[in-house]
Amino acid sequence: MRYGGEGRTRLLLIILIVTALFLITLDLRGVAVLDGARQGTQTVLSPFQKAGNFILTPVKNFVSDVTHLGRTRNQIEKLRADNAKLKADLLNRKNADAQLKQLKSVLDLAGTAGYKVVNTRVISQGSSQSFSQTVTIDSGSNAGIKKNMTVLSQSGIAGVVKDVYPTTALVMLATDPSFKIGVRIAGTQQIGILSGRGSRSGSLQLLDNLTTVKVGDVLLARGSVANRPFVPGVPVGYVTAVDNSAGEIAQSGTVRYYTNFGGLGVLAVVVAASSTNPGDALVPPKPVPTPIPTVTVYVTPSPSPTK
Amino acid sequence: MLTRQISLSAPIFLFIFLVQEAVVNQFKLPGGGFSLFVIFALVWAVISTPEIAALTGFGAGILMDMSQSAGGPVGQWTLIMIIICYGVSYLSYGDGNINGNPVGVVFFVVIANLSTGLLFLASSALLGVTTGGFGQILLTLLGNSLWTLALTPIVLPAFSFLHNFVFETRSVL
Repeated sequence: MRYGGEGRTRLLLIILIVTALFLITLDLRGVAVLDGARQGTQTVLSPFQKAGNFILTPVKNFVSDVTHLGRTRNQIEKLRADNAKLKADLLNRKNADAQLKQLKSVLDLAGTAGYKVVNTRVISQGSSQSFSQTVTIDSGSNAGIKKNMTVLSQSGIAGVVKDVYPTTALVMLATDPSFKIGVRIAGTQQIGILSGRGSRSGSLQLLDNLTTVKVGDVLLARGSVANRPFVPGVPVGYVTAVDNSAGEIAQSGTVRYYTNFGGLGVLAVVVAASSTNPGDALVPPKPVPTPIPTVTVYVTPSPSPTK
Repeated sequence: MLTRQISLSAPIFLFIFLVQEAVVNQFKLPGGGFSLFVIFALVWAVISTPEIAALTGFGAGILMDMSQSAGGPVGQWTLIMIIICYGVSYLSYGDGNINGNPVGVVFFVVIANLSTGLLFLASSALLGVTTGGFGQILLTLLGNSLWTLALTPIVLPAFSFLHNFVFETRSVL
């Protein structure tokens, strides 16, 4: 309140606010100049993001290890037993191995369904300042990626291509609050809509009041017209809770995504779907419980000595 | 004088923006993390005149709108940053207890950062930009504020030094 608020400052403020409103109006009307400006910025930024990703990967691995210290205690204990050289080698190879594993799983998934994919690496996480969940990948329109293409992780759906630049693309993750996908319960034709909630859980709303869903049901992408934005058959997640409220027209529930969005390293963009619907072929196998060995001891009483 | 200030400020803002996009955004931090660029712009605004703060908000907002992780239309962040930067400078400028005192600056930056988030939510509701569930929003706002509270005292001396270098003022926070 101490500043006098001179006429010049107020005029400047009004001009700046009007300019901002003008920009918003232009963008909402779809003026191409603003898209071009964003694309240009991204083209300039992408080499720096790639360099940053390359340089900071060991730091990220270290932070990740510290974060998961409790969960990986046994592994750390085992590593401690190794000698210093082996540990150094392991640290250097860890990132490459993890990405290779993710890549193999993604290719397995895409190969089973007959999708033609472009494999990419995640080079930047989106800022949470905008309350959105996005990542930047290191391939763009030069690699054949277009807007509204399905993006796969090693376990299933990861998101959809939101914006494309020549050498990078912005992927809206399935956890983004504005993400919506038509899903089908595996083994049936029951359909619903799954929405992101900002976390690894999504909200499922079934469309038919005769449809029933139960905990453990697997959800697959239902597919879109011309396979964009979603190709059919991609595993999405499984139902963890069902809401059976009496007032609901159709059942709703909570779904846990197969994809671990905290550890995305390699993604695949589906540039062409197979000519046939893969159906339920991509449903992940249920984990087989490890049998616990039991030992039965038969005790036969020895005849008591008689005198 | 103004030409010198702009020609010195612009590369500094571009550099911090680059650090935000190429380094800070690489990390998925708990609680939604922080925006070094927003903290920088807000510190710059708090210790500047309202006129400079409004221009700072405009420049910073334009850069944030150019970032591909900006959720809304181009101009949304520009509008928000102009209002917030001008607002904090208007309230603090000339008051030595606020912009001459590191604690006051940190307090204003944290409040301004929170206000930035709230204004983004309000403008997103008007512009039809989806922002997520109540719990997630609350977590992000709280996380951003805590990160800002923790980080601002660390980076304040450097940002203050840069500000003094550009504007040739004597007091360093």
